[in-house]
Amino acid sequence: MFLYSSIVLLCAYIFYVEKIYIYDVNCEVEVKLMRTSWKVSRVAFALLIVVFIAAIFMWPHGAGATTIRTTGATFPQYQIQKWITEYQKNHTDVKIEYEGGGSGHGQETFLQGLTQIGRSDPPVTLDVWNRFISTGDQPFQFPEIVGAVVVSYNLPGISHLNLSQDTLGGIFIGSIEYWDNYRIARDNPGIHLPHQKIIVVHRSDASGTTDIFTTYLSLINRTWAKEVGSGKTVNWPTDKIGRGLAGNGNPGVVAILKQTKYSICYTELSYAINEKLSTAALENRDGNFVEPTEKTIRAAVSKVSSDIPPPNEGYRENISQLLNAPGNESYPIVAFTHLLVWKNINGKHYTKEEAIAIKEFLKWILTDGQKPENLTPGYVGLPRNVAEIGLKAASQIEVP
Amino acid sequence: MRTLKKFAKFDRFDFLTYPAVLFVFLLFTWMLVVYVTNSIPAFQREGWNVYFTNVWNASECPDKEYYGILAAIWGSLYTSIIALLVALPLSISYSIFVVDYAPKRLRGILEITSDIMAGLPTIIYGIWGAFFLVPFLKEWVMMPVYDYLSFIPIFSQKPVSGFSFFSAGVLLGIMITPFVSAVVREAYATIPHTYREAAYSLGLTRYEATKILVGYVKPAMISGTILGFGRAIGETVAVSLVVGNAFNVSADPFSPGYTISSLIATQYGNSFIYTHMTSVLYAAGLFLFLVGLVITLLGMYVLRRWKKNVSI
Amino acid sequence: MYQFDMRRIKEYSFLGVICILSFLMIFPLFHIIFTVFADGIGTLVSTGPVFITGTLDEGGIGPAILGTIILAFFASLIGIPIAFAVGVYAYEYPHSVIGKATTALLEITQEFPTILVGLFVTQILVLPMGTYSAIAGAFALAIILMPYVAVYTKEAMSQIPFTFREAAFSIGVPKVKTVFLIIAPIAKRGILTGLLISVAKVAGETAPLLFTAGGLYQTYPDSLTQPVGAIPLLIYTLVQSPSPADHAMAWGASLVLLLIFLAAFIPLRLSIKEVRL
Repeated sequence: MFLYSSIVLLCAYIFYVEKIYIYDVNCEVEVKLMRTSWKVSRVAFALLIVVFIAAIFMWPHGAGATTIRTTGATFPQYQIQKWITEYQKNHTDVKIEYEGGGSGHGQETFLQGLTQIGRSDPPVTLDVWNRFISTGDQPFQFPEIVGAVVVSYNLPGISHLNLSQDTLGGIFIGSIEYWDNYRIARDNPGIHLPHQKIIVVHRSDASGTTDIFTTYLSLINRTWAKEVGSGKTVNWPTDKIGRGLAGNGNPGVVAILKQTKYSICYTELSYAINEKLSTAALENRDGNFVEPTEKTIRAAVSKVSSDIPPPNEGYRENISQLLNAPGNESYPIVAFTHLLVWKNINGKHYTKEEAIAIKEFLKWILTDGQKPENLTPGYVGLPRNVAEIGLKAASQIEVP
Repeated sequence: MRTLKKFAKFDRFDFLTYPAVLFVFLLFTWMLVVYVTNSIPAFQREGWNVYFTNVWNASECPDKEYYGILAAIWGSLYTSIIALLVALPLSISYSIFVVDYAPKRLRGILEITSDIMAGLPTIIYGIWGAFFLVPFLKEWVMMPVYDYLSFIPIFSQKPVSGFSFFSAGVLLGIMITPFVSAVVREAYATIPHTYREAAYSLGLTRYEATKILVGYVKPAMISGTILGFGRAIGETVAVSLVVGNAFNVSADPFSPGYTISSLIATQYGNSFIYTHMTSVLYAAGLFLFLVGLVITLLGMYVLRRWKKNVSI
Repeated sequence: MYQFDMRRIKEYSFLGVICILSFLMIFPLFHIIFTVFADGIGTLVSTGPVFITGTLDEGGIGPAILGTIILAFFASLIGIPIAFAVGVYAYEYPHSVIGKATTALLEITQEFPTILVGLFVTQILVLPMGTYSAIAGAFALAIILMPYVAVYTKEAMSQIPFTFREAAFSIGVPKVKTVFLIIAPIAKRGILTGLLISVAKVAGETAPLLFTAGGLYQTYPDSLTQPVGAIPLLIYTLVQSPSPADHAMAWGASLVLLLIFLAAFIPLRLSIKEVRL
């Protein structure tokens, strides 16, 4: 409908232009030379219009397909994109639009109804949850996948780096200024470290990855807990001394890290794998240096009995339950990342088609999507009992 | 009868155009109102500290939230000034060259090139800036300057990355040059030919003649500078890709920073989950709004007064 | 003799500096065009026509191109009639108070930071509607388009000799007809070209679309009240990604945007004497 009306308008527009031109021929005011050059632009203009019309005619358009939009955390980006690609292969009538922007953006757009499925790494706080409730609809929150935050660095020639809890805190607080600081050297005997300043790359947007990482830093470093604290955005101490840089989303951070020598950042494991970044082995609770791998993440998940509240009480979830897990092999910064959907009371947020498509998509994610062939490197599937929580939420979405 | 006459004066022309003019004015006022009303909570909560402190404590606990956009204001001013330092010499010599020395055909090419630069989508400057200019400046400008001039206090810190006030300033300088030179060129071209003839008849060299002629267009240069500053301070996407986005108030041009427009572009998307951040961003917008308004009016005023006084 | 030589040295160094700086001013443009071509052509060639027509999943930027066209078209539809009327008004009453204020306002809005327009439209359209939409994006672009079009209209009409007006008035043609049916058609060439140049400029804007258009790259837009993508917006997202594949796509998209812009801009620019951007 929209296409037809725009074509009609375009035709009217051209007719209007032509008419004026004819008028102009009758008024012999223009110098001849000028008219020839005007002819050039008239031809260009006509071409442009033809291209416009051709474009609008020839382009296939999304007739019949339902479009769902998912916005927010970039922590699970690779996994979500994989799911979208796989899902669309067998469900051609559904198109899923991926948008990044960070967990904060995910919560905000979800609150305002600008997206259908919000993504947030940390569980929503009570305050924001209440604002969700105040829209008159019931929000659901549930874990979708397990991921790990890794510490990546750009040090030419150095492919293995150990960071103890104390050193990690010192680097991000800014008290360790150079790479060859004795505290780093102590963790890495035998490695020649350059005398270069450490550049800390962090997120510019409100980010769940930041929330997870700063919560972990607060757990292991008392000074950090007292002076900086945790949250989706924090007041980075390194910014104030000119050694901080910020990127938008996990992709932005990694892009800056790759361009900047002697920098360090925190990001999701899948980015490190896909972008071939060097990742540091971190000291875990038992005092071992562990690399982030599927095995060490699984070890961390298996060592804690995660307590996930029912989807309609998402705010009760504790972000730090998977952090600094005990166990020889456990990687210390592991977290669930979450999806947000509406119960859709009285069809407040979704149309019939959208509600059906969302239900189907969520069910697929939490069952088939968790199978190894649909997972991307860097993520670990949910334990069965946790996936059940999401399935319960999906089944409760109302179809108007 | 009298009212009828009055009504008759208000003819069909006004009937057609008045609503449009009214609409434009209302739109502008509406914009101002939106910015003022939305930023009031920030002023009530923090007062002028919004503009004069450098903190960005976003917290989901509303009591702990505190924002001061000094870093962004500083970054906006600093990058715009660097931009002008880049743009001014370029646009003045370009104007002199185009008006006085360039052969006719070359002049046409130069003018078209400049116009293309003015119209080129800013995102193309952005991608070029992020992938070419930043590494280039770091390698060929920042490192040499640090190596040889580090005794100057503001260059004493080793440049950590290419993303900095300096990179943003240079990119902005390239972007605003066509606008500044348009004003200067126009003014310079209006100097009557007799002035030039008089100068040359005295036996002055081209350098000496140009020096005198440039003196005539000084107000136009000031006006061009002011307008260029206005353009630079409002530019968003290209700057946000190269400035580094760090809350940093520093005189070191090679350190990363923030600008107001970049702050809005990167933070507005997630500000609603915080209780007070949105309002602070509107306050930042209001600052940009007012600075832009004052600067444009000032630039126009200088130019008008010059045009009136120099009736050549 | 020495004095004379000093002057000559100054003279030549002055000319040299002027030439070099003028060259330096336009050099970045050529470098930008060269870089975009060099880095973008590979993507374009290896992906083939799919790059122009396909969705993001298929490795193309089709929805973004169509989105940009839709946004530009509807921005023109909203902005041009209003801006034309304003320009005509400013031309007709250059000395009245409102006329002067209008001219000043046009100059201010031409300089206005575009991100502020985006934020404003988000506040008045996107939040109440509860969705990003093509119409919000188009409205934001229209606000930026208006001052350019109005200024061009005013300038083009001011070029027309006053005698045409006198002639029209002397045979009793009313003002509205004089302006719209005599002056405007004569100045049409300037007006139309100015108008198209403005549209070409505005279609490449990114900042006003950041929080209004939303972005749509997997499907083709088919409704004005739904989110829509745009090439500049897509480039902005892709540039911030770490993956070389995304960067290649960003360069390819930049090349497409650049080609569209140059193809529209250069012929138009050749047909008029000066532009005001």
